[in-house]
Amino acid sequence: MIYQQMAIPPRSEHLWRYTPWPRIHPTVPTEVPIADEVIFSLEGGGALEEVPSTMSSVDDIARAFLQAAGGSSNRLLINDESEPIHINARASGHVAVGHLELEIKGSAVVFIHISGEPEWVGVHITGKIHPNSHLSFGFINELDSNTKFLRCEDWMIERDGELEHATLSVGGFRCKSDIRSTLNGTGASIRQSVTVNADGARHEDEHVEIHHLHGHTNSDLVMNSACAGNSHFIGTGLLTIAEGANKSDASQVFRNLLLSEKARAEAIPELEVLADDVSAAHGAASAPVDKNQLHYLMSRGLSPEESQAMIVNGFLLNAFSNLTNKYLIEEMRTRLTVHLECELKR
Amino acid sequence: MTDEAQDVIGDYRYGFHDPENSTIRFDQGLSEQVVRDISELKNEPQWMTDIRVKAYRHFVERVMPEWGNCDLLNMIDFESITYFLRSSNKTEKSWDDVPDDIKNTFNRLGIPEAEQKWLGGVTAQYESEAVYHSIREDLEEQGVIFLDMDSGLKQFPEIIKKYFGTVIPYSDNKFSALNTAVWSGGSFLYIPKGISVEMPVQAYFRINAKNMGQFERTLIIADEGSSVHYVEGCTAPSYSTDSLHSAVVELIAMEGAKIRYSTVQNWSSNVYNLVTKRAVAHKNATIEWVDGNIGSKLTMKYPSVLLKGEGAHAEVISVAYAGEGQHQDTGAKVHHLASNTTSNIISKSISKKGGRSSYRGLLQVTPKSSGCRSKIVCDALILDENSRSDTYPTMEIGNSTADLEHEASVSKVSSDQLFYLMSRGFTEEAAMGLIVNGFFEPFTRELPMEYALELNKLLELEMEGSIG
Repeated sequence: MIYQQMAIPPRSEHLWRYTPWPRIHPTVPTEVPIADEVIFSLEGGGALEEVPSTMSSVDDIARAFLQAAGGSSNRLLINDESEPIHINARASGHVAVGHLELEIKGSAVVFIHISGEPEWVGVHITGKIHPNSHLSFGFINELDSNTKFLRCEDWMIERDGELEHATLSVGGFRCKSDIRSTLNGTGASIRQSVTVNADGARHEDEHVEIHHLHGHTNSDLVMNSACAGNSHFIGTGLLTIAEGANKSDASQVFRNLLLSEKARAEAIPELEVLADDVSAAHGAASAPVDKNQLHYLMSRGLSPEESQAMIVNGFLLNAFSNLTNKYLIEEMRTRLTVHLECELKR
Repeated sequence: MTDEAQDVIGDYRYGFHDPENSTIRFDQGLSEQVVRDISELKNEPQWMTDIRVKAYRHFVERVMPEWGNCDLLNMIDFESITYFLRSSNKTEKSWDDVPDDIKNTFNRLGIPEAEQKWLGGVTAQYESEAVYHSIREDLEEQGVIFLDMDSGLKQFPEIIKKYFGTVIPYSDNKFSALNTAVWSGGSFLYIPKGISVEMPVQAYFRINAKNMGQFERTLIIADEGSSVHYVEGCTAPSYSTDSLHSAVVELIAMEGAKIRYSTVQNWSSNVYNLVTKRAVAHKNATIEWVDGNIGSKLTMKYPSVLLKGEGAHAEVISVAYAGEGQHQDTGAKVHHLASNTTSNIISKSISKKGGRSSYRGLLQVTPKSSGCRSKIVCDALILDENSRSDTYPTMEIGNSTADLEHEASVSKVSSDQLFYLMSRGFTEEAAMGLIVNGFFEPFTRELPMEYALELNKLLELEMEGSIG
């Protein structure tokens, strides 16, 4: 279905409950503005392959909108790459849209850093992990604090393929992410972490879907958010285990740390299990900063602000604990620590 | 009962039905005139008729929920349902005066025995209205009011007018609008200040006729410092066509009061059970929902608590058993609207023979509510590969001092546990039954002894033939 024929999704769907489509659309829902291109470039030089944008039938309104809006369209095929690949995504103008297609054979580590000061930016990433292949993927959102950001990702992980997926979101004013992964072969697995540090009036809505279509597939999702100021974080997860996908193992953990009186957080980890011989679990927790931890650090000479920043740092770093690739962990940790230090100095 | 009917109901022990001897039966279908006729027949005050009519108009305008099991919901044919059926001309106070055919039904369900042994009061509702009602004299002398809702409206119209629809307005959802439009029967219970009702009071709801809609309305008010335990049981015979049970239950616990509301729902597998239950807890009050869902075709029920006063507490323990062709969409909602309020939710579900159980919950802490604590635990067992279990929890946290935990797991019966029990001489079926009873134990230990035993028996019946 094309965007113009689609109805605005009702708020009874969790996906659109807290950030309804009209709130994340760049103008009014009936319009499809002419979009500038998001410029994808490889760090250290080199260009990504430009491909013509394709129109396929999609059910989701956000994906259909990004398709209709056009923008840039690039592809990157990777055949075993030992060194990490850094892709810079630069956006500017009123409305900017970019599409990126990744295809992985063998092993690779890929980072996407998105930055810029557009009023609105939309990115659609699709990825295919071939059988027995492995991708460690980091997405770092460092957009301007006035930018609205829509991000859609679709991952297909084939037999014995593995995806390590990490998100660090510290930029943008109103952000909505919809990341969907399909474990499409026996032995496929995904380890995913989402880390959000929200301040001011930031609104961040992270939706993660993981679909186990085959048996002996594993998934592990950790989502940690720290919310200060008037910020609002929404974490929704949908984990499905299809009929017959026995011996699947899935877990989701959502943790929220609320740092101010007006900060808000929502956690909705959903499970749909249609197979009987599986292990599926989810947990969610929300709490303020532990006063004992604060007291401990302050008694060792740190100011209250430094103590809190250290606790927040430790809490958010914990989201990366399910990752294994050293480049991925190091990059995400460094970016987070630098961000928190800058914030402390402000 | 014919062999065919027996095949349909399987092991469902309350599947018998008696000949229908109604004194008044409305034609099938719903219209504003039907709503007005129900009100006129009951000789209700004008304000109640007006509320009914407003609710009916809202029901007509309101669309079906777009969440949950929409396929099953959209199969409900509101025009094929009978909205009012009177089986007895009055509510009897003596068991002997109840018409024989109705008495036989309740005798088979064991109601008179239960009343003699361990109840403070009992209401038995057959089709649309209560047919028998009694309360122990000592409770009556203390000022406890326990009536069927129709009698409550006649005898205490001011109290009903003050509280009716204040917890669940007709505009809350499509089915609360339907219930408000055509409600009939249910319980009205008022506990005066400081009175503690030691023995549970019970209501028993029975649908006997085909294509029947039962829309009871229950209002329980526990005044300051009082406490009460209300127990309800529900059964219906199996027919090839569907029945609808759409109740509204409103609980109000004043300062320091405690209400425990226990349900063992064992409707037959052709009943839509779409119930709205909500409680308001004022300062330091406690609300406990103990909710067992074994029967029905589709149950959508999410007992809710509005923690409005500081220090209020909510406890929800629910179990659901989804067998062949059943969808148990149950859960709990707790709104922390005041500071230092606490809640605890335990949900257990079992899916078997293609059944589907869903936990759907909401936990909300508003920005002005500080120091709130809550814990939610959802566990699900799936007993075969055709069954399904879903969890849809929602946590909305608007205050940074809230301390909340949610955990859920879905698994099958552990082969280690089965092996352990079988190595000690249990058959596989008996071992499975023991494990399932143990799984539901947090629920059964909260029920009065007689109900707990009954539930265990029901579960054993349901578990028969579940191995292999």
